Amino acid sequence: MKNKKIKPSPAAPYSKAHEKYLKKLANDKIFVICFQILILVAIIGLWELFAATSVVDPFFVSSPSRVFNMFISMVQDGSIWQHIGITLLETLVGFVIATLGGTLIAILLWWNRRLRKILEPYIVVINSLPKIALGPIIILWVGSGMSAIITMCVLICIVLTTISMLNAFISCDTDKIQLMKSMHANKFQIFWKLILPNATNEFISVLKINVGMSWVGTIMGEYLSSSAGLGYLIVYGSQIFNIDLVMTSTVLLCLLAAAMYFAICMLEKWHKR
Amino acid sequence: MSTLLEFKDVNFFYQTKNAEIHALKDLSFCVDNQSFTSIVGPSGSGKTTILSLIAGLLNKSSGQILLNGKEIEPKNSQIGYMFQRDHLFEWRNIWQNVTLGIELTKPKDADKKKQFARDLLKKYDLYDFISSKPRALSGGMRQRVALIRTLVMQPTLLLLDEPFSALDFQTRLKVCDDVYQIIKSEQKTAILVTHDISEAISMSDKVIVVSSRPATVKHVQMLNLNGETPLSRREDPTFGSYFDLIWKKLTNEKQKD
Repeated sequence: MKNKKIKPSPAAPYSKAHEKYLKKLANDKIFVICFQILILVAIIGLWELFAATSVVDPFFVSSPSRVFNMFISMVQDGSIWQHIGITLLETLVGFVIATLGGTLIAILLWWNRRLRKILEPYIVVINSLPKIALGPIIILWVGSGMSAIITMCVLICIVLTTISMLNAFISCDTDKIQLMKSMHANKFQIFWKLILPNATNEFISVLKINVGMSWVGTIMGEYLSSSAGLGYLIVYGSQIFNIDLVMTSTVLLCLLAAAMYFAICMLEKWHKR
Repeated sequence: MSTLLEFKDVNFFYQTKNAEIHALKDLSFCVDNQSFTSIVGPSGSGKTTILSLIAGLLNKSSGQILLNGKEIEPKNSQIGYMFQRDHLFEWRNIWQNVTLGIELTKPKDADKKKQFARDLLKKYDLYDFISSKPRALSGGMRQRVALIRTLVMQPTLLLLDEPFSALDFQTRLKVCDDVYQIIKSEQKTAILVTHDISEAISMSDKVIVVSSRPATVKHVQMLNLNGETPLSRREDPTFGSYFDLIWKKLTNEKQKD
């Protein structure tokens, strides 16, 4: 990919040293990718081998082939799509609400300095609070099921989003703000044309963090109160000692979280372009 | 030459948690139309405060600041401000950076101003970069873009707050020449705040030396140097004597400080 971009033109051919350097860069990349694949293959291979040779008990650790078989059987009876769909929906809804809500609160706090000062200690306390402690209260207040799970997901992400975005807004170069003022910009224009675009990199970082945190929130919520979803399958599987089910759900969670993170990385690449 | 800007016994205090700071004390000076005036003084003497007062970013505590004989208004379109660093917005391309002021103020003659922006970019060899992001430009080119962004609004008075301080010495001399030529050919009045005495002498018709805080005018030096550009003005035989004179005034202030 990189070689394509920096293809030498006939007018200015690269020197041998430069070609060697480019080749080294390409080789480094191949080496890293190969090693990443090798680690994955080794984990799966050793896991399967140890389970097959009874070095570890498949009853407690399952095995890749059992996970695969479990996945196929769940695909065949169609139940897997319902569980994936529910968890994905809860995560995405929680992710969007927390990201947008947190950013909106940050905007409000940036806009009103006095309000920021007043709420500062409360935000610090809420941020330090282990959100899982609020689980029973959430169930009481919003009911069990999807609404409680989404609330848990939102609670876990929203404070972090607010703090990160507020810091990004506040840390904007004061000279740039003065420049906008010298061009007679009003407060809304300063925010819209300077503060907000200036915080884009921080926003993408927040999205990346929220990908992980929203999965944590959703699974925690499903542990507390659910009748479907991957978190529910993990709890249910462990209760009936079906480790294959637990492992299959965990692997699926890994894949979904990775896919969501990858989507954010693509967004970041597009933004940087 | 008629007077464009006049400071009459201007005082400015700013408040901190611990004290009230007297930044400017009975400051009086005037700036002629289409002239280039530099203000030099010790660090922290309040030079930037003077520019902020003119730009309406701060409000004076007492005294008068007159522009064309009238008390200066807080949002005055006749004034353009150029900061220490170019402060180009990295997420906007060069055209969007240059037309930022038009976007913000939405003037009635926006099309005319946009055409003026195009003309300036062409004139100063930046038109090929209008779709580029600022990171594609050199330090000198970025400063030229920053100046054009200020000139697009067609201000009468340009405030230059150490606009070359972030550049290396060679680029600084080149950009200094470019900026000087642009200001002169666009027939603008400019006030430059700088630490660099030679830069002040090479560009200005008048150098105002201010004291350490609270700033008052300690010395006003009119300059008469031959040369079309700041670089050529540095070759004038009297350049050195002007430098020595201003240096002495400034060192006295520093010693007091």
